[in-house]
Order: sequence, then C-alpha cells, then structure tokens
Amino acid sequence: MTERLKPETPEQVLEAVQWGLAEGHTYEVTGQGSKRGYGAPPAATHGLDLTGLSGIQLYEPGELVMSAGCATPLADIAAALNEHRQRLAFEPPNLGPLLASGTMGGGSIGGLFACNLAGPRRIQAGAARDHLLGFHGVSGLGEQFKSGGRVVKNVTGFDLCKLMAGSFGTLAVLTDVTFKVLPMPEKTRTVLVLGLSDDDAVVALTRALHGAYDVSGAVHLPADIAAESGVSYVVDAGCSVTAIRIEGPGPSVDVRCRALRDDLAGFGDTEELHSSNSHSLWREVRDVDFFIGDDKQVWRLSVAPADGPAVARAIQGEIGGRVFYDWGGGLIWLAIKERPDADHQSVRAVVDAAGGHATLIRASEPVRAAVPVFHPQAPALAAITQRVKESFDPKGLFNPGRMG
Amino acid sequence: MGCIDENLLAELAAIVGDRLTTGQSVREQHGQDLSYHQGHAPDVVVYPKSTDEVSGIVKVCAAGRVPVIPYGAGTSLEGHLAALRGGVSIDLGQMNEIVSVNIDDMDATVQAGVTRQQLNRNLHNTGLFFSVDPGADATLGGMAATRASGTNAVRYGTMRENVLALTVVLADGRIVHTGSRARKSSSGYDLTRLMVGSEGTLGVITQVTVRLHGIPESTLAAVVSFPALDQAVKTVIETIQHGVPIARIELLDQVQMAAVNSYSGLDYPEQPTLFMEFQGTPTAVREQTEIVGEISTANNGSDFRWAEHQEDRDKLWQARHDAAYAALALRPGAKAWFTDVCVPISGLIDCITETRRDIDASGLIAPIVGHVGDGNFHLTLLIDPDDAGELKKACSINERMVLRAINMSGTCSGEHGIGYGKIEFMEAEHGEGVNVMADIKKALDPLNIMNPGKIINI
Repeated sequence: MTERLKPETPEQVLEAVQWGLAEGHTYEVTGQGSKRGYGAPPAATHGLDLTGLSGIQLYEPGELVMSAGCATPLADIAAALNEHRQRLAFEPPNLGPLLASGTMGGGSIGGLFACNLAGPRRIQAGAARDHLLGFHGVSGLGEQFKSGGRVVKNVTGFDLCKLMAGSFGTLAVLTDVTFKVLPMPEKTRTVLVLGLSDDDAVVALTRALHGAYDVSGAVHLPADIAAESGVSYVVDAGCSVTAIRIEGPGPSVDVRCRALRDDLAGFGDTEELHSSNSHSLWREVRDVDFFIGDDKQVWRLSVAPADGPAVARAIQGEIGGRVFYDWGGGLIWLAIKERPDADHQSVRAVVDAAGGHATLIRASEPVRAAVPVFHPQAPALAAITQRVKESFDPKGLFNPGRMG
Repeated sequence: MGCIDENLLAELAAIVGDRLTTGQSVREQHGQDLSYHQGHAPDVVVYPKSTDEVSGIVKVCAAGRVPVIPYGAGTSLEGHLAALRGGVSIDLGQMNEIVSVNIDDMDATVQAGVTRQQLNRNLHNTGLFFSVDPGADATLGGMAATRASGTNAVRYGTMRENVLALTVVLADGRIVHTGSRARKSSSGYDLTRLMVGSEGTLGVITQVTVRLHGIPESTLAAVVSFPALDQAVKTVIETIQHGVPIARIELLDQVQMAAVNSYSGLDYPEQPTLFMEFQGTPTAVREQTEIVGEISTANNGSDFRWAEHQEDRDKLWQARHDAAYAALALRPGAKAWFTDVCVPISGLIDCITETRRDIDASGLIAPIVGHVGDGNFHLTLLIDPDDAGELKKACSINERMVLRAINMSGTCSGEHGIGYGKIEFMEAEHGEGVNVMADIKKALDPLNIMNPGKIINI
C-alpha cells in the first residue's frame, strides 16, 4: 500500500473517493482498525483512514437515539450511554483481542455496523443491523447520500441501512451513523445448569427460550471450555455449564429465575450467578475469550439451533477441534488446529447439509487470501450480489476482495 | 389490450392453463387497492400455483418487456398494485400452502399467498404466534413486500425484523433463496432485507420464512385518558425510557374517541386516550402495569381502566379495533384517505398538534390514531372524492404533514409505503439516496418491468 489518506470531514471523504475514481486507485477503508483481520485481505492500492470522523453528534436519551461519526470509538459511546444508564442492546463484541489485529479497544461504531456484529443478546434484541436507523455515506460513484433517519419505522423505498450492515465497507464509505439505544436493565442474573451433554443442553436452552422467561442469553460451554472461564462458579463446577441470562426489573427477575430453575430442575443441578459474575461470564462469551491467545483457526458456524450439536459432532468427528454454543445452539464457535486450507471443505460440507453458513473468523493472512472467508453463495444469489455491488461501486474502489 | 398480444397470452396459458383471466371486472379489481388512489387495471390476471410457474410467467414477460405486478390480498394503501403501464397481475392467492412450522426453532415457512390469520390459525395449539398484525388480513408475501407492521411492533418488530428468509423470482425469471433458517447469515449482503419493502419492484416474493414468538403467559390491557395530547405522549416517552417492554401502546385523539363512543355506544371521555397492552409472566405484567399506572397518574391521566381476562380485554380494546369503522361512520358516504407519517418521538406532540390545526382549519373531518411507541401516527381524511375542493384540501393537509415529518428527521410513511401515492415525496426525504435506489433498481431490473412506476420513477 503506497499511501494512506486521512480525511477529517465527509467532504474530504468525497474528495478522496473522487480522486480515487479519477486516478484508478482502490482503498482499504478502516476505522479504529480492530477488525482488519476479519474478511479476506483487501488488495487495495491506498488506505482510507476514517479516524478523523469521530465524535458523538447527537444523543437524545429520552428518544433512545444517538448519531456519531463513523470512527467514534465504541468505548466513548459506551461511556456516554452509561451516564444515562443506556446501552447498545445487541451487545457488540470486542473481537480485537480474538483477531489480535489493530487496536484492542473495541473498534469503532461504523466498523461495528459494517460488520454487523452482535453478541449473545442477539436472540432477544436482534442483530446490529436491526438497530441502525440511518447513515450518511459516499458511494463508489463519488456521490454523497443518506438513508433512513431517526425513526424506528420507515417504509419509504429500499432499506439501504440493512444493505450497509454486513457489507464490510464494500458498497460505500459510511461517514456517520444513527442508531437505537435502549435502557439498561435494573438487574441481571444467570441461571446455570450443570453437567449437560450438548444435546440435552440445546433442549434445555430451547425450553428456556420458549417459556415466558424473556431470556437474553442462552449459551452452552462444554466441560473443556467451562474449565477456562474466569468465573469461579463456572470453573469450579468441573463439568459442562449451560447458562441462561435473565434481565429486567428486580422482582420480575427473581420470579423468572426461580420459575426457570424449577422448570429445568429435571435436566441437572442448577446454580445462579448474580450481577458481577453474570457480567464477567457474558463478556467472556461475547468476546470469545476462550479462543484468545492461541494459534488455532476459528470458525463461526450459523445453523438452525436444533441442528447445532449434530453439526458440531460431525465436524469434530472428522477434523477434531473445540466448540461452544451461543444463541440457544444456533451459533457454534469452533477452534481447529492450524491448517493451510482451514479445512474449509470439510467444515462447509457439514454446515451446507444443515442449511447453515460458516465464516472463517480467524486465520493468518495467506490462509484468508486462499480460502473463502464467507460462505460461498449459490450462483443466482452471487449474481445479484455482484449487481448490487456494481450499482454502488462499479469500479471496485472499496475494500476490493474483502468479501471474496 | 395494452401491451399484451395473443401470443403472449398463449405463452402464459401454456404455464398456468385456465388459471388466467382477461375479464374486465377481475382485472379492475386487481388494479385497485383499498385506497382512494385511482386504480389501473392490468391486461391479464394469472394465478400461479408454484414458484416455478411464477418464474415461467416472469420469463415470458421479460421476453415481451411486459410489466409484472404481484398481487396478494389487495389491501395496500398507496396504489402499490395499480398497473400504471398495463401488464400482467400475478395473483399469488392460490400459493397458500403452509410449507413447514418448526416449533423448536420458532419459525415457519409459507407460500406467499398465506394470510396472517391463516398462519395464526394453523399455529393453534403450538404455543406460538406470528406477531405482525396490520389491520387487514394481508398475505405474508404482500406484507414482506411492503415491510408491513402493526400494533405490537414496539415489542415484536415489523416484517423487517420478522422475515428470516425469502424465495424470490427476479426480473429475468431466475429463482433465488435469500437468508436461511440459521439465525445469522454471514454469506454476503443482506438481500433478504433489500427485498423486504421493495414493493414488487425488484422481484416477486413467492415464499417467506418468518420468526414466531411464544404466546405470553399473561396479558393485561389498560386504557387511560388525558386532558391534553402532550400529557399522553409524555406518558409514552417515559414508559419507553423506563424500559417497560410494553406490547402495544396506541393513541386515539379526541375526534377518534368521539367517533368510537358514538359508533360503539361507549362512554369514554372524549379526550386523547392511550390503549395499552402488557404481556409476560403474571409478576412481570403486574409490575409493568404498576409502573405505567404511576407514570400516567403523574401526567394527569385519569379514568384508568384495566382488564385481565380475554373477554374483558376485548371489550376494553373494542374501541381501538373499531376505530376505522367508527371513523367512516362519522361521515356516511365519504371515502377514506388513509395516510401516515413517523417522526422522532420528541417531535410527535408538535407534529400531531400542527396537523390537527390544519385539519380543523380546513373544515374536514379526520380522526388521528397513532402507534405512538414508534412515533407513528395515521390520519383518516374523510372526503367526498367527487368534490375537487375537498380533494385539494386533503392533498394540502397530507403534503404539509409529510413535509413537517421529513423536516423533523422523520419519514413520509412509517407503515403504508410509497406505491405511486407518495412517490413525489421521495426526493424530499432521501435526496441523493433516490439515485442510489434507482441504480439498484436498474441493476436488478434493467428492463424496468417489475411493478414499474412504484417507489422510484425510472
């Protein structure tokens, strides 16, 4: 990469894009850089560093809405929300330490939406994209445009917010984003069920999710993973731990926890974590702490929850590896021994058969360049994906190759 | 006949056999929705039974460059299904099979012609329900295409949040499956949600997978009146800010309350009134009701009524359910012009107050009903469509309300969509964003045959 541009305003972003168009340059677009290692390595001639576009522009606690420059650090946003006891309900993970790339501080708000990342609370609060209300951006045609606004409902044309979320910066450069924020709950508790097999755990989690408990986290840690938790109750259990989070006003949390423990008593022994232990455990799960710091390749598998254990078993039977389950069994984190092809064919054959998706989250740059990081699409879908890309960025200016 | 010749009809008949008609009354019915907008009849109506048949029909239309207009239950409100340039109306009503219900994963896959009530009847005894409830018994395909929502969006979301996957026939007849039953798809752009709300302009939705929700253990309904609008809206804002997971919160203004009293023989105070519903465990529901009761009282709410049993709840909510009929009864013989906008909730009081002032100054009758938890409200303008003066006044009220909403960083429609009725406001709301949408439209439908003249003019 020969040069890095660092615009300070949306107008300078526009100029940079127009200059790139005129000169035939391409850009690797970055915010705080915490997720540079996520996706295929882009083959860009220049860098477009957006850290100059930082800062909260609007925060209306009463209206539950915030706008911020795209590179505003998540830590700043969390701090501002914390003052009003509010938060981003989809529980953004900090993948910096897992990916061991760029900064470790949790990345930027624009990068978060561009990668559509959500944590364990996704099962209750929805994905990041469900919270993105509007944005301003610059397309690869060199045009400034905006979409959405400050309202939660609109039905006026194509939903460009949803298209930006999960596009990994390949359609347009976001210059600012407007998003929903929500009140923090008064109380958080976690019900633990001990010693369940993966299959029984998913049955128990499904039961919890179907009940009137309003569950905001449903995870299963097999014994080898639970043993690495920093939460003493989880480690000391000495067996697998299935965890279910309940949040809300005090009295109703107590009642729901009690009822849930009664309901799940037939599965195994139950325990209850209070606030600070709960927070520690869910942060570990959110940031995939269990796989940080080793040299394993990490996959993220999305399947229908009921298929989770069978998918994990089939893959482990073939290539080994360690797993844990989030989203009631629908999300499997898989760590495998490093291999030049990340065993993508074996992994994807199993996931394909279950109608799911597999994303290679962590692998060295050469591996990510050689192996499709994102799940390959059926030909008809790939064709319209290509057309959508061309309608925003016909010259392939932004993050070329990052999505494969 | 417009753009259709005998050869094309024969090609269509080769696909659908006798499930095809060119009869005038059927065509006219398929070109007219529930709104006051001028209908436009298609040249022919076809009734496919499978995605493959839809694909075949679209291929024939693409070869002949003939417009394709998908039709579900015909309940849209902005002229979405008017065949402005003639063409083929694809009535998906016979694709009404419930393909699968996955109780464990809480989702269901249905053909596009299944209606929301049909799906919910089918879910009877599963403990699950499908949450999105627009007034009409619309089809799931139509609801996905118009990104429909309803009274409980504040708790369960709109079609945007509840559609997991789609099967779509594209403008060249190709069939694509977007999304999957996996909760999270990382395999590329979110094409599912690009299709949701595209009003048939990018493709024909033939199958929909939706999220289901558990039926709450306990439900409690409450109604409370306020001397003034701002007190009612303040109650809503404080309730939401408090994090109360209220399932429904609806505002009826004084004109609408007078209408329901007279229509249903009720005795509610003729004041701005909130209709609310709480769901969850019995403890949670009691807790929520207490919190909202306190907030209401602090804002001068009075005549707080609540009900727990289904029958009593229905009675309490009767006024809300009857709102549309009650509005129409205010002026027998009039036609209703339904319109809606959505604003940031901090702008709601000003937006409603100023709109009410415009209505009163015009001399027209127009009750207001709002899904206030979302900042969304609806106006029912009761007009004599043959009276040019009234039509002009209604146009002006609508336009002023829309521009007011857009100036407040709101939107020209929170629920009904664009169709061709609100197409003139797209530029004001989106600016350059309209060009971006036009580029997408051209990329996916280069011949401009998919419901042309809706959302954006190409």
